[in-house]
Amino acid sequence: MEQIVNNNKPPRPSNYLALAIISTIACCMPLGIVSIIYSTKVDSAYNDGNYELAESSSKKAKNWGIAGLSTGVIAIVLYLIFIVFLAAVGALDA
Amino acid sequence: MHKKTIQNIVLSVIILLFTGGIIALYFLYNPSNSNYFSKCIFYSTTGLHCPGCGSQRALHHILQGNILTGLKHNLLLVLLVIILIYKAVLFGLEKYYVKKFKSLLNNSKVIKVILVIIILYWILRNVDYYPFAVFAP
Repeated sequence: MEQIVNNNKPPRPSNYLALAIISTIACCMPLGIVSIIYSTKVDSAYNDGNYELAESSSKKAKNWGIAGLSTGVIAIVLYLIFIVFLAAVGALDA
Repeated sequence: MHKKTIQNIVLSVIILLFTGGIIALYFLYNPSNSNYFSKCIFYSTTGLHCPGCGSQRALHHILQGNILTGLKHNLLLVLLVIILIYKAVLFGLEKYYVKKFKSLLNNSKVIKVILVIIILYWILRNVDYYPFAVFAP
């Protein structure tokens, strides 16, 4: 009986914890925190046997983490463009 | 399939160039001494420190080899490094022994503790009195 139950278990979805923490520290604290909260849900749902919720929480944790990181990357790129623009204007002035 | 591998290669090259550029930038320049580095948006708008504040300075000092000075700017990096090392070691062990180990990071209590640590750190680094003032970036 036990064996059958074990065989029916889908693989444990990743909780993307590292991604969530990197995103919290690197720049985008609010998005990162949301991602960590979904990370906690992944394993509690999986251990309760609620595999669908675990799977969807895993996806949300991943998406929020990526959203956090890409917001940071986009902010850096926009910032660099802004700096280059300022430098160019400065060069024209001189 | 072939198209996908090309896409993956292009993506990895872009990511490598980007991280390389960021590492070079933070190695060469100290964000505190330059006006060109963006301040934390949360700090500029609210005047409060967030859990990520100080990570630019921390990165600069750590890349320069002053690891302790760097970590003082953001202690959460210690947590991140511990988690990354733990994951790497576990990954290595799983590859070596070809079996799955029970990861502490798949324990929802551990993750909740981490979440509480981050939120506590966030609150405490805004407290201006002695024992907690150490946490400020």
